[in-house]
Order: sequence, then C-alpha cells, then structure tokens
Amino acid sequence: MRLMYNSDKAISINNLTKYYGKLQALDNVSFEIKRGDFFAFLGPNGAGKTTTINVITGLSNYQSGEVTVFGYNTTKDYLQARRLIGLCAQEFNFDPFLTIHQLLVYQAGYFGVLPHAAERRADQLLERFGLIEKRNVKHRALSGGMKKRLLICRALIHDPEILILDEPTAGCDLELKYLIWDYLTQLNGEGKTIFLTTHYMEEAEKLCKTIGIINHGRIVRIGDKKEVLRDKTLEAVFLEVTGTE
Amino acid sequence: MITNPIGVISLSKREILRFFTVATQTIFPPLMSSVLFMLVFGVAIGQRIDLSASGLTYLQFIVPGLMAMHLISSSYENTSSSLFIARWHNHIQEVLLSPLSYFEMVLGLLAGGVTRGVIVCIGVYLVSFVFQPLPILHVFLLLYFMAMISVIFSCAGMIGALWAEDFNMLSMWSVYVVTPLIFLGGVFHPISALPPVLQVFSKFNPICYLVQGMRYSVTGVSDVSIGLSALFAFILAGGFFFFTVHLFRIGYKLRT
Repeated sequence: MRLMYNSDKAISINNLTKYYGKLQALDNVSFEIKRGDFFAFLGPNGAGKTTTINVITGLSNYQSGEVTVFGYNTTKDYLQARRLIGLCAQEFNFDPFLTIHQLLVYQAGYFGVLPHAAERRADQLLERFGLIEKRNVKHRALSGGMKKRLLICRALIHDPEILILDEPTAGCDLELKYLIWDYLTQLNGEGKTIFLTTHYMEEAEKLCKTIGIINHGRIVRIGDKKEVLRDKTLEAVFLEVTGTE
Repeated sequence: MITNPIGVISLSKREILRFFTVATQTIFPPLMSSVLFMLVFGVAIGQRIDLSASGLTYLQFIVPGLMAMHLISSSYENTSSSLFIARWHNHIQEVLLSPLSYFEMVLGLLAGGVTRGVIVCIGVYLVSFVFQPLPILHVFLLLYFMAMISVIFSCAGMIGALWAEDFNMLSMWSVYVVTPLIFLGGVFHPISALPPVLQVFSKFNPICYLVQGMRYSVTGVSDVSIGLSALFAFILAGGFFFFTVHLFRIGYKLRT
C-alpha cells in the first residue's frame, strides 16, 4: 500500500526532550530533514543518536516535543509514519526460528506486502546483497558481515521512503563497506531519504549532503555539508563542536 | 478495527510456525503426560474412586479436566515464551517497527497461543479414546469455552512475558500461580469432595469455573452454574485481552 503524503519534510523534529529516569538524553532537539536528503547524524558515544532514531521509529517514548514523518505524527499517526520508515539497527536482532528468507518475507507481511510480492522482493534483496545462496539458513549460520547485509535487506524489504541506518558499516570489511556505500548512493539517487549515523567521518563526508552533530543530547551543528565544513575537514569540525580531544 | 490484515496474518503464521517447528517440545509432551495421567489416575487408581452419583467413571471425569489443564498451560506457555524470547533477543522490534496497531499485534501473537492450546486440547480428547470413548454432549459450548480459555491464558502469557525480566521471573507465574490454581480447580476431583474450607477457596479460584465449563460441555456434569461459568469466562477473556492491548499501547517494557 502506498501512502499519499505531500510534505517535503521527510522528518521534522520539534523541541524533542527525552529522559531515561533522571538522565536527560535529548534536550529540546529540533531539526528537519528534506525529502531526498542524505543526512549524516554524528556525535560521540552516548550523545543521543540512537535515542533520536528510537524516538523517530517509535521504539522510545519521549516526554515532550513532536516528531513527524512526511507530515505524519509518529505518535498519533504511527501506522502511517511507520510504513514510510525502514530501520537498520546496530544489533543483530533476528528471529532465531526463521530462515533469512522467511525472516524477510514475514517482515514484508507485517508491512502489508502480499506474499508473492514479498517473496520476489526478498529474493531481489538477497541477490543484491550476495546472500541468495544462504536464503534457507538461519541467521546464526551467517558471518558478521552477512548479518549486517541482512539487517539492510530487512530495513528495505517494504521499500520505505526513508532509510534510517544506525552505524551500518561499523566492523565491516572494505568490500562490504563499498557495497553498502554504493547501494545507499543508488537509493538516494532514486529519491529515497537516507538518515545515517556513523563514527567514520570520511563516510559521512563522502556520502552525505547534510550533516547534523549532536552532543550531550543537544544539536551543536547542523546544515548543508559545505556550510558545516567551511573549508575544514569534518573531523576538525566534529572535534571543535563536541569538545573532544 | 483491523487495518492491516496481511500484517496480522503474517504475524499469526509466524507464531504458529514457531511452535510447529518445535512440536516435540510443544505438542507431544502434553499428550504424553495426558496418557500417563489417564493410565495411572484414570485406569489404575480411578477404579477405586466412586463417582457413580454423577454417572461418570473417574476416567470420564478427568478427561475434560485434562483437556482444560493442557489448554491453559499450552496457551500460556506459547505466548509467554514467544514474546519473552522476542524481547530477550530484541526481535520484537520487527513487530514494533511495523504498521500493525497494538490491537493487531496482540491479535497476531494471540493466534499462536490459541492455535497451540486448541490443538493440544483436541489431541488430549483424542488420546482418551485409547482408554474409553467419551462423546461430547455440547459441542458448541465446548468450542466456546476452548476459545475463551485459550484467549485468557494466551493473554496472561503475554502479560507474564512483558513483566518478566529474566527466565526465573518468567517461570514464576506458571509455577507459583497458574499450576496450583489448575490443580485446585477441580481437574482431578469434584469440588464437593474437598474439605469445606477448600470448597470456599475454590469458589474464588477462576480456573475452577473454566474447568467446570469444559467438564459440563463434554459430560453434562458440573459443580457450578454453567451460565455463571460462561459469563465469567467471557468477562475474563475480554478483560485480559484489552489489558494486554493497553500494555502494548503504553509500551510497557517494550519501549524505552
């Protein structure tokens, strides 16, 4: 099912505040990501990147603020908002009872994709990411790199408008890193909005159009890549705004 | 209320596939234990127990009780283990990220518990034919009670799985609450055979009404009002179902 939406803002976050008990994880965070953007969301460990992703995708509650995805409020209109998002999480959280092909087909089913279309889409993605030979094995039989690829396949199985990737290339070898980069660039070229968190500055610098940096739950720099860099390297800007030595 | 039927069917299929892939742990053990209960209690010891006032042999008396017992435990164990493992491995995110409403999520997870419970319950009835054929007097009433009981305990299993932080906590409800209530609920004995104090206690045991409902449906014999049992089962099923949906809606131990 395709959703009708007319907002040019793929993601809009307004005054988002989130606490874990007494710990403030997000402090009045506001930013927007345009449709078709390739957005890098950077920050030190514990800065609030994954929390922001969890709020956008509905995996975390929050205390105040508003998050919309193509104009759909992620709390009130969560059914519509979730159809538009694909999440590639950091951890390998797969159902241990299913083969990787079943896993993708069921995941597509949750998004309302009919079985024959889901089967076709699953095979296409497994082929694209070099996993087709493994389609009938369970995820435990895959190497770490293969599991990374499977995470991306699962995020893409329902052909989402926005792909959110939480450190997708962490721990990947060069070959896989380039495969992922190529595919993300291709997807972005097809008009998909990409939201990427990474600790690799060269990755963000190479792939992204817009960059946001978060530190201690606050946005400390955001804007067009040129505007953020201003003839500096991203690493230098990052160190400057996060105060990291 | 269902806006994503394909999603609900997919989740239901996954839940059913899950217990079928481990049928040696989910389907056959309760059938095996039922055969042993019928053999030891029904055939060996049962011949010395006089239930002639009810017109039933002891074996005929315990068969509906065993059906109820395994319906309860299978429904409970299915959803509690499935949801807890999904939380433990964090693949519950696959469902939480999807455009399934909270009502639909519970419905999909419920399908596994209800299906497993019903299959085991029918299986227990069928294996009883090895010892003594027992015709069912009220088929539709039996289906009603099977549906209500499986919904109640599938939801109870989900609530337990959400509440539990580890495997010890998960088994706690089953060991210390569900199993004692089942055994004191009249599976193996008529309520009237209990000492007066325990008879009073049985009136406050919800499982007693469910077991009696099953027994009446099969044999036409019950220690309590069957109308009251049917109403009680309906209220409990509705209450447990909507409470479970509520827990999913607020994200109890599902969302950080």
